[in-house]
Amino acid sequence: MTAVRPGSRETLAGLLGSIKGASVAGVGNAVTLQLPAAELEPAVDHLTRAGARLADLFAAGQDPAVLHLVWALDEEHQYLVVRAEVDGEDYPPLSDLAPAAFYEECEIYEQFGIRPATGKPLNRVALPPHAGPDFPRLGRQPRQAPAEVHAPHTVGGHAFEFPFGPVRQVGVESLYYGLVTSGEEVVDLYLFTWHKHRGLEWRLRGQAPRAALFYVERTEGLSAIALSWAFAAAVEAALDASPPPAAQRTRAVALELERLYNHAAATAALCQATGLSVGQSAAEIALEQLLRLNAAVFGHRYLFGVIEAGGARRAPDVDALRAALPAAHAELRRAAEALLTTNSFLDRLEAAGVVTGEQARRLGLVGPVARAAGLAHDTRRDHPAPPYLENPPVVAARTAGDVLARFGVMQDEAADSVRLIGDLLDAGAGAGAADLRPGGGRSRSGLGWAESSRGEALAWVSLDDDGRIARARLRPASVRNWRGFDDACRSQNVFTDIPIIEASFWLTVAGTAR
Amino acid sequence: MTVWFLRGLRRGVVTTRYPARPDSSAADLPTPPVFAARAIGRALADRLVEVCPSQALDREDDELVFDVGACTACGRCREAASWAVQPSGVFELAVTSRAHLVKRIPLKPERGRT
Amino acid sequence: MSQGELPIPSQPNVQQTPAPQGERGDPATEDQAAAALRQRIASQFGRSLHIRTLDTGSCAACEQEIRLLAAPHYDLHRLGFFFTPAPRHADLLMVTGPMIRAFDIAARKTYDAMPGPKVVVATGACALGGVYPADAFVHGAVDRILPVDVWIPGCPPSPLALLHGLLVAVDRLAEKVPELSFASDSASGKESG
Repeated sequence: MTAVRPGSRETLAGLLGSIKGASVAGVGNAVTLQLPAAELEPAVDHLTRAGARLADLFAAGQDPAVLHLVWALDEEHQYLVVRAEVDGEDYPPLSDLAPAAFYEECEIYEQFGIRPATGKPLNRVALPPHAGPDFPRLGRQPRQAPAEVHAPHTVGGHAFEFPFGPVRQVGVESLYYGLVTSGEEVVDLYLFTWHKHRGLEWRLRGQAPRAALFYVERTEGLSAIALSWAFAAAVEAALDASPPPAAQRTRAVALELERLYNHAAATAALCQATGLSVGQSAAEIALEQLLRLNAAVFGHRYLFGVIEAGGARRAPDVDALRAALPAAHAELRRAAEALLTTNSFLDRLEAAGVVTGEQARRLGLVGPVARAAGLAHDTRRDHPAPPYLENPPVVAARTAGDVLARFGVMQDEAADSVRLIGDLLDAGAGAGAADLRPGGGRSRSGLGWAESSRGEALAWVSLDDDGRIARARLRPASVRNWRGFDDACRSQNVFTDIPIIEASFWLTVAGTAR
Repeated sequence: MTVWFLRGLRRGVVTTRYPARPDSSAADLPTPPVFAARAIGRALADRLVEVCPSQALDREDDELVFDVGACTACGRCREAASWAVQPSGVFELAVTSRAHLVKRIPLKPERGRT
Repeated sequence: MSQGELPIPSQPNVQQTPAPQGERGDPATEDQAAAALRQRIASQFGRSLHIRTLDTGSCAACEQEIRLLAAPHYDLHRLGFFFTPAPRHADLLMVTGPMIRAFDIAARKTYDAMPGPKVVVATGACALGGVYPADAFVHGAVDRILPVDVWIPGCPPSPLALLHGLLVAVDRLAEKVPELSFASDSASGKESG
């Protein structure tokens, strides 16, 4: 199941061929390259210049720890996994060349004890403050404790900083952030998510893939389908298994339903943040109808338990879906149309929380946040796996990069999801799973992906000889996009804009902290 | 604001009458299972305990101990023994005493044991 | 799935409240305590109740269901329930998540900031001891750190289930589960009561 399109093969081959010291370690739905650590820096430089996007960075194994870089070559429709063994504690610095990597470097340091050779301080981002030598880690404890997060800031000497949270307003997740302000203006904002760290990647070790899905879908409950699809696809890539086509379409139906309800929920949150109760109620009516639709169609309001490693566990109730989906979407569409004529709403959204295209590219942002800034990436189109090969989405994009642009992207995507669901049902969606024979694949490691409502969700898995998980990497879109939240809040915004910006990002703390 | 006012009037009331009247949407909700009494043997019970991902099942001698509080209604036990495990249809599960959520279901008595 | 024994780090600064109702406690004593509490609650909270929420590590689905309580389909206001962000105003604390250990201090502070009388409702399977077993990351259940009065199962509990739980908490609806056995007489699945 290769996703390399003819015609891009030459560009790809040329690119890979010019990475010094690289040897191909695996070819499947993603190409895996092995590199000596000394060649990492030039390789990162080379790939960054060629326009490749660093989608993820993680480590696996111990003595030696192996650094994994996941690159997305969106134009060439190819994912690339670059592996480099790290002897000792240091590896070449990467975040100078690929600024999108700093958060991951900090996380890797806390979990594996390996760090870039710059000597620059790394922050504690992933593990809680009391994490001593006995605290469960994926690798070795770092020799020196990481630093506390403090972004350097200077604003005429009058800025002060205060910690906010983690217990916040009613009905939202706990989130702890440091807010630096000179009064009203947001000078800086940095997030801590270690208080919601449940150790998901640690828990998955030793589990069978089918059992692991229970935890994977509860990593970020609002992206249960996207993350469990990415994970199941990673397992299937590792074992050379292909889900039956009807099951693939079921997955996509569920993913589009997930996108729909999330965008409705984000709309409701935007109305709440702007103080428009009536709009909030209208969006909530749509949201509730969509959740009830999920329960009627798939047996669970949040679509837990639909995806199986190898296929789909449940088939949708097609009649219920066809009957109720148009009305539910119409509810959302009418609310959005009314909102777009409400000046008090628009005034709060326009020019708020701007993320520029340049920022989005530099930080490797994904999803509606990136598409609203002009970065029109969508894994359903750029890295199409069945059934999106036969049923491509219409990729929504804007250029303003503000909250209003993100709102617009979400509404366009919701409409397109309804169209996609109709097409998928016409082609036939069912349940069923391929056999997963342990040891059936060659490489026994694999990469999977899915376009969640928040953006590209990635998973990578490495299986042992019994087919159990040796290492699982889960990277919901939230992990990637929170780093853009700082920039968005900083651009000439005031306190009361923060909830509005947060609603337009529509990320979760659970997905980041895992 | 006229557009919102008129929309609201046209939309009407969607509020549930629960608890005064039952809500029909409850029929689609996932619910914890009911186990067939004296129909499941020890071996199958042990298999169900193993298959539950949420620590909701345990076996003590000839009883299946079912912690409804830990149950996520994921359906894996039902898939493992659909002839003996059915959805309860009960979604009103709140209690004021934790112990009331722990149920004991008699297993099939072993032959030749007291 | 066995993770093996994990050393559980001690947290000297956090007072562990011995939970009055453990996992499989004595129903008789608990019934008495529960009845006394219900009486107090009915007299003090019967008319209007302010709710504070606390997330100790959920996956975010429980929060979405809780938010929908104020949405048009459920409208908890018609039942005299109100959300409040201020702990000083709150009568009832709805707690989600498996009580991540790193959250202990924040959880205790939130609880302590609420003036009595107050009610704690553990919400969702994670908060009740399901999903995550106790280990170095999590306590595994809310009632290991806070005294819990009402437990609401579900993953996530739907807004209807939450409404039932809240009404049970103020003694306006009867509990159903104590009378149910979750065992059927035959393989047909009918509740034998």
